[in-house]
Amino acid sequence: MFDKILIANRGEIAVRIIRACKELSIRTLAVYSKADADSLHVQLADEAICIGDAPSKDSYLKIDRIISAAEVGDVEAIHPGYGFLSENAHFAEVCENCNIKFIGPSSAAIRAMGDKVAARETMRKAGVAIVPGSDGPVENEQDALKIARKIGYPVIVKAAGGGGGRGMRVAHNDPSLVKGYHTARAEAERAFSNAAVYIEKYIENPRHIEFQILADRKGRTLHLGERDCSLQRRHQKLLEESPSPALTTDLRKKMGKAAIKAAEAVDYVNAGTIEFLLDATGEFYFIEMNTRIQVEHPVTEEVTGIDIVKEQIRIAAGEELGYDQKDIQFQKCAVECRINAEDPFNNFQSSPGRIEFLHVPGGHGVRVDTHVYAGYVIPPHYDSMIAKLICYGRDRRMALDRMARALDEFIIRGIKTTIPLHKLVLKDPNFRRGRYSTNFVERLLAASQPLVPPKGEEPIPAHAVARE
Amino acid sequence: MELEQIKAIVAMMKDNDLSEFSMEQDGLKLRIKRGPDEFQQTVTLPPAAPAQLTAAPVSSQASAPAPAAPAPMPVAAADAKHIESPMVGTFYRSASPDAPPYVELGQEVDVETVVCIIEAMKVMNEIKAEVKGVITEVMAENAKPVEFGQKLFAVRVK
Repeated sequence: MFDKILIANRGEIAVRIIRACKELSIRTLAVYSKADADSLHVQLADEAICIGDAPSKDSYLKIDRIISAAEVGDVEAIHPGYGFLSENAHFAEVCENCNIKFIGPSSAAIRAMGDKVAARETMRKAGVAIVPGSDGPVENEQDALKIARKIGYPVIVKAAGGGGGRGMRVAHNDPSLVKGYHTARAEAERAFSNAAVYIEKYIENPRHIEFQILADRKGRTLHLGERDCSLQRRHQKLLEESPSPALTTDLRKKMGKAAIKAAEAVDYVNAGTIEFLLDATGEFYFIEMNTRIQVEHPVTEEVTGIDIVKEQIRIAAGEELGYDQKDIQFQKCAVECRINAEDPFNNFQSSPGRIEFLHVPGGHGVRVDTHVYAGYVIPPHYDSMIAKLICYGRDRRMALDRMARALDEFIIRGIKTTIPLHKLVLKDPNFRRGRYSTNFVERLLAASQPLVPPKGEEPIPAHAVARE
Repeated sequence: MELEQIKAIVAMMKDNDLSEFSMEQDGLKLRIKRGPDEFQQTVTLPPAAPAQLTAAPVSSQASAPAPAAPAPMPVAAADAKHIESPMVGTFYRSASPDAPPYVELGQEVDVETVVCIIEAMKVMNEIKAEVKGVITEVMAENAKPVEFGQKLFAVRVK
């Protein structure tokens, strides 16, 4: 087992990793930008090294400084978290060359799945169903039109170099395809320094179902069930739940098998996630693999009782998983709400600033993963997610009732958050019945226009606000 | 009230292990407190900062004896600038264990003057002053790790 690990990340995931390390008696080294000097992950780590100025490109993305910090800090492994360098094959390679264990898959696996076009081809060869689409990157407008007409509209143009909703355009006809093709390429170039795009059939109102994979270095690959992540806004996930209300036991078995086949096709080791689209007829298609720990991993942790971050560390240290697929139990139903520092009443404008008052929900079946504390100043340089609220119970109804109750107790003052939006979602009868797909949030927002703050959200009196 | 009387009260408090004594007499108010002040428990702020990095440096120069750190020269705040580390690594005052330090206290430096080496990933990086002035303090320790932004030298700017 490792003696000391460097956490190459920030925010709530850095806190999450440090917690797992502490429980495994592993010493922790945090790296941070100047803007994060007061951050919780810096406070909780055993040691901390400043690696640069606030912008990510000057700090959290600086491979040389992170490796340097790893060397002066004498660590044996680096956990990259999610985002930043977690899916950077070159970074994984540098770690390998410097004899520092990268807690994740091999650089080869990252590369294989990072190129979305190559990944599709690998899956096709492995016999995993993929969305009908182009055989490779689409080189020009004429090819785009040819492929689109062959597959049949509507189609979606997607960036080969990355995801997260960037470099994506849906087209319902020839003119919008031509426009979308060029716009997607420009956006992809900006976001991933790679303008290559491919085209897939656009599946209308699909459900986004992803399967959590764990694979050790002894060749054992398991899945830990699915997460339904259909609730999205502009391709950003808002809420995730497990099990998916749309999956039968049979379908879960089929998709789970496909997920394992996909991971094995690239000799995958460590934690990863296979993403599928599920259409209205019950057909599912591979869209991509995320070769890292994901934001919504706590949902699966509460359902199965397995600590995924600890398993990542154990696998990287060479340990066997020690259990089989048949040992995986789906014991609970769990839901996660991503709380962002954004104003849902003002087009989700980001709301950095100081948290003047914080009351975090608690009680049976409630888990909060966050890096914020009362008095903390949220810097403007990074993504806006400030907390994850996870609720679980014996069945879906209980998990959702708990979530509604917990959202009511969650008070964050001084900044705007998306808590009011989540409350709206939890009240929606279709959501409660499990009837939703990827257009749900847009429709909910449109129907609630203009979104007004619910009654009772008066500012609390000054004397009740905690002061330093 | 006489000093002798106050001394007697203090002695009495000590003998009887009393912590507080107060009296009022003929318009005179006297209050005597013994022992350390109680400290208030304030609202818990974020926990204390983590330990200073003390890891051993990677390079073989680790065995070089550290030069004695001379007392820094006094300098007016307005003129003081700092040379900060542009990277993470190990700080060395000279090119090798036997070589003299790049700069000493009181030495004049120019924008291009090499003031130290920071070793990162087996590469010895020469760090330039990027300021014109006089070295007034050496703020980093030889052969010890430094982080980004850490102050290496204080300079009185010309």
